[in-house]
Amino acid sequence: MNEIIQLNLIQFSSIYLLLLVVLAVMKRAEIEQSKLLVIASIRMTIQLILAGLVLTYIFDNPHPLWTLLYIFSMIAFAFHRVLSKQPGLNRAFKTGIMVSIALSGLLVILYFIGGVIGISVFNPQYTIPIGGMIIGNAMTGVSLGIKTFMSSLASDRNKIDTLLNLGVEPRKILLPYVNQSLETALLPTLNSMLSMGIISLPGMMTGQILSGTMPLTAIMYQIAIMIAICTAVCLSVFLSLTFGYKSLYNHRQQIMLP
Amino acid sequence: MPSILIKTQSLAFHHMIKYPDLQIQEEKLTFIKGPSGTGKTTLLKLLNATASPSAGTIYLNDSSIDSIDAVSLRRQLLLCGQTVYLFDSSIRENFIQYYQYRNLNAPDEETMKKYLDLCTASFSLDTKCQTLSGGERQRVYIAIFLSFNADVLMLDEPTSALDEATSRKLFENLKKYMAETHQTLIVVSHDQRLIETYADAVIDLEVIKEQTQHAAVNTALTQKEA
Repeated sequence: MNEIIQLNLIQFSSIYLLLLVVLAVMKRAEIEQSKLLVIASIRMTIQLILAGLVLTYIFDNPHPLWTLLYIFSMIAFAFHRVLSKQPGLNRAFKTGIMVSIALSGLLVILYFIGGVIGISVFNPQYTIPIGGMIIGNAMTGVSLGIKTFMSSLASDRNKIDTLLNLGVEPRKILLPYVNQSLETALLPTLNSMLSMGIISLPGMMTGQILSGTMPLTAIMYQIAIMIAICTAVCLSVFLSLTFGYKSLYNHRQQIMLP
Repeated sequence: MPSILIKTQSLAFHHMIKYPDLQIQEEKLTFIKGPSGTGKTTLLKLLNATASPSAGTIYLNDSSIDSIDAVSLRRQLLLCGQTVYLFDSSIRENFIQYYQYRNLNAPDEETMKKYLDLCTASFSLDTKCQTLSGGERQRVYIAIFLSFNADVLMLDEPTSALDEATSRKLFENLKKYMAETHQTLIVVSHDQRLIETYADAVIDLEVIKEQTQHAAVNTALTQKEA
């Protein structure tokens, strides 16, 4: 296996030429998103350069504190993203989401890095990229789960009022929505497991193969990360919704929707 | 002498609605009327504790409803709300689903039919609820609530989608049934003719509101004189 070919600046810059193709198509199809394309490309470039610099520094000066800091800022960012898509949640619900993402993310990272791979969880080379994938997917899952939960509650207001008036416990009214939203949030992960390896080689595996890892090692890592992601999504959505639905009713058994 | 089942004291909701002190008698048909915005629907929600008052107390049989578990209170004071919700399935299936939510076995078909007849909704139990008209759905909805036989049934605008003849028939049946079973009925309605014919007692929130305001003015004057 060959080591990956280093890109020099001119080689690297030439990839941006492909964006001209996208721009041309957009112009032709009268899609008025050329500004977004430019901004997105610039943001991506700057964000990744920064991430690269930070990672270079951390790899050169490994310290448990840096790894921890990186993981916690990823959790904070994930939390922020979930909330920005779902404003109007009550305080206890928000706290529940934060705790759920952190708890399930850290638990799965700990098991994967410390248990399965069997190295220190403070090793930045493993913990940061793997942690990023786990937390990023947990974020998408929680976002989808909460969105489904809140929007189905909003559209079922009549049903909820009727059941409440009939003397049904709030818990019994809300639990079916929790279960159904958890299912919705899990499906994309399960579906991507179904098509994995046939339709595409997943990102992490591609990266490992490019950098010279044996394909068999790469698939083992890929399978491991998929199972880890599935667990983190399932746990974080389940915990978020469990904390969340309990925050929607008070001691007088009144359901309070935003 | 009929006993007083529910009374309220200095009840207010979010400082927008201030209720006069009310009394509702047991085993009677009490109508609540008043223009929109006087808090008729809100009053029903306060009574079954799906909303909490910002001030004041509601007494049920002389004990504050705050001391009663909210879920069992709602089973005792059953509120059949203004907005009808029925599952998209047969009438029979609707009975079954609602009883399941209450952890109860659904009544047998004879009993279901009895309540449908009472509510002038004598449709086949196989009828899909999504094929019924607004007024028909309303009557099926009331029939389901009636079948739970709560101590108190509260209906919010039960005749809003019904013609006059059907409304009269419904109230004729309801009044007779409630008297036989010693249940109390509280109805929010605009329908003056229904009120005149069937009410044992009427609470007119507008009139009482004006009186309260007068009383307040009088008190102010008295205080000034003093």
